Amino acid sequence: MTVLSVLRAVAGPARLAITHNSQQVAKMSDHRAMNIIPSRFQWNKFKDMLHLYFVGAAIPLLAGIGITNMMVGPATLSEIPEGYVPREDEYYKSPITRFLVRNFTRNEQMEYEKKMQYIWETEHKRQLRLIEKRVKKLMAERGDYKAWYYTPHIARKYQRIVRKETEELMERRPAA
Amino acid sequence: MHLETFSPPTDAGFPWCDCPQCLYAPLLSTVLWFPERVVVPNRKEYPWYHRSYNRVPTIDQCYTDDPVCFFEANEQWIRDRQVDREIVNILRQRWRDCAFYEGVDAPVKCVELQKISEDAETNFFIKYGDLSAYANVKDCYMKQKHRMLWERRHGPVGTGMKTEQ
Repeated sequence: MTVLSVLRAVAGPARLAITHNSQQVAKMSDHRAMNIIPSRFQWNKFKDMLHLYFVGAAIPLLAGIGITNMMVGPATLSEIPEGYVPREDEYYKSPITRFLVRNFTRNEQMEYEKKMQYIWETEHKRQLRLIEKRVKKLMAERGDYKAWYYTPHIARKYQRIVRKETEELMERRPAA
Repeated sequence: MHLETFSPPTDAGFPWCDCPQCLYAPLLSTVLWFPERVVVPNRKEYPWYHRSYNRVPTIDQCYTDDPVCFFEANEQWIRDRQVDREIVNILRQRWRDCAFYEGVDAPVKCVELQKISEDAETNFFIKYGDLSAYANVKDCYMKQKHRMLWERRHGPVGTGMKTEQ
């Protein structure tokens, strides 16, 4: 830092020289010199990005689209012939869309049917689960079936004592 | 867009230039020469079609516990609603084109088109209006049912509610 402040006396006339020519202005001992010029980083970066987005992306895409439209061209709208089922990609006008539909997209009618199958299956499962819930509820209410809520009562004497004490407790605290 | 089928407006609206054809034609013929004479004859023509959907049972023909029938009826209802929207739009646009062309005379000369357009809008609103953005076919069906009940109790829509006598 002190070196630079010492150079301030030397850089006085050198600063004037910068505006005229960007020749060697910083006096150093070696023959190699550092050109002190304003930063061209933003300009170079801008040119770099512009070049990338145009040459890398925009120009190939636009050229592809232009060549496709000139060589192949869009389709003409026509009536469906009798008894003919068009392919999935024959429902679209642009050749690029047709290419994508032919090779990468799902069949719309197939997806529709699959969705209906899923709805049908889940509805079946839902109905079965509703029935199961109802059966469980009735078994819990009536306690007449040995399936869900059955516990084999071995200690009957203990059960009677517990039941009597619970009833007495509930009588003492009616507002529970 | 071909030179023969393109028809520029006969009245440019500028009093000092009453025939825009003399301005349009040379420009268009220059620009359209390349695509019409060079590009199009070297292309093969091939067709595309509009999708045609089969009619399926509507919501009033579905059982209440049949979600597959409801799904298909709903999809059909969405398509029919879009078609009705386009119909209303076309009729409205016809009225607007007439009004734009006639200008000041529009209230006199475009009365039929206005009546047709307004009737179409009214009917569209009767069927699809005031249902939310997430409406389905059942909401629309219930709206019809409630309207018919209301009409049974109070008379045609627009004659006011009857008080309890």
